[in-house]
Amino acid sequence: MSLGDELRYLRAFHGGGNLMEIEDEIGLKPGTLRYMEQRYRRVGEDDEALAKIAAYYDASLERLQWHRERYRKALSAYLQQALKSETTVRVELRTGETLTGLVRWWDLGAFGLEPDEGEGSLIVVQRHAVLDWQGAATGTET
Amino acid sequence: MPEDLRKIRERKDMSINKVASRSGIPITTLIQYEKGAQEISFRDLARLAKALLVDEWDINPRSTPPPPPPPREERPARPPLPKREQPKEPKPPRQSPPARETQIAHLLTLAARFDIDRAALEEEIGKPLDELTQKEARHWNGHYMRRVVEEKPPKRSIDRKRAYLPEGVDGFELAYLQEQQEAGAALNFTLFDGQTFEGVVVGFGPYQIVVREPGGDEVTLNKLAIAYYRKAGGAG
Repeated sequence: MSLGDELRYLRAFHGGGNLMEIEDEIGLKPGTLRYMEQRYRRVGEDDEALAKIAAYYDASLERLQWHRERYRKALSAYLQQALKSETTVRVELRTGETLTGLVRWWDLGAFGLEPDEGEGSLIVVQRHAVLDWQGAATGTET
Repeated sequence: MPEDLRKIRERKDMSINKVASRSGIPITTLIQYEKGAQEISFRDLARLAKALLVDEWDINPRSTPPPPPPPREERPARPPLPKREQPKEPKPPRQSPPARETQIAHLLTLAARFDIDRAALEEEIGKPLDELTQKEARHWNGHYMRRVVEEKPPKRSIDRKRAYLPEGVDGFELAYLQEQQEAGAALNFTLFDGQTFEGVVVGFGPYQIVVREPGGDEVTLNKLAIAYYRKAGGAG
């Protein structure tokens, strides 16, 4: 799960506040949090800002840094590579489940996974539900 | 004390044209009168007195000639400009830099519209394209541009090499949902917190999916809360 998705998730669980108001409350430059939530590339290099956000959401800095490595484009690259080479992917979900199977398609918000156990069936996995995947922290951008 | 015609006219704030039209005296004659070059005739004196609203004896029949204009001061002659020193050796003609890649690419694109490939183009130009200078490339691009304008060859479809990244669209998921909605298939949704919902898709958008549960209740599921979904019963 990317830092952006994690931040959206944390914001939702903290009452879904307005981004600008939260930025103001934390003492961040306007647009910082919005940028982190929306970008696909690796974001959140400023550990000082990240620490402030972590404190606001009662999360640890290490947790946010961990998500920073799992940016959306890295997941895109992983899915695209698996789609092209028709290799099995293994993803850990936020629910605690692990899914394996072949990627049939992927797009902005989800990907279609044909699980190992049933040919022809399809699971539509929301990208923001993917917590981790193989080689996540070393993924390359598409 | 009689006054000169011009002084009376100016005091009355009247133009010479106006005086001419009011008196019926030609302007050229009035100018002569004002200059003192000619004495005002008895008849014109009466006309002018009427036009200027004065008595006849207020007008001097022969105006005082104006003083001659001061002679023009002659400007001192300009000193001649120093002659430019000619360079001892003429500069060599400036060498045009090699043609840019974009110029060559543009030239090839234009030539391709006339079914001319690189080899044929190089033959026409008389040298390899890589050896073209910017000036030459500009010349040949202009040449082919003119031909395009004049002959209007058909456009060729461009073979785009740009990768298609579905990251910018959510078309696949929406197409899947559309298909399931049309088929009336029941889907099983698993949320982040482990809750599950089952029902047929009633509507959907980028952020929500509305499902009708078997009991008839409609539930709006926020996509942010959904972890995954699949056809109820596990079939694709």
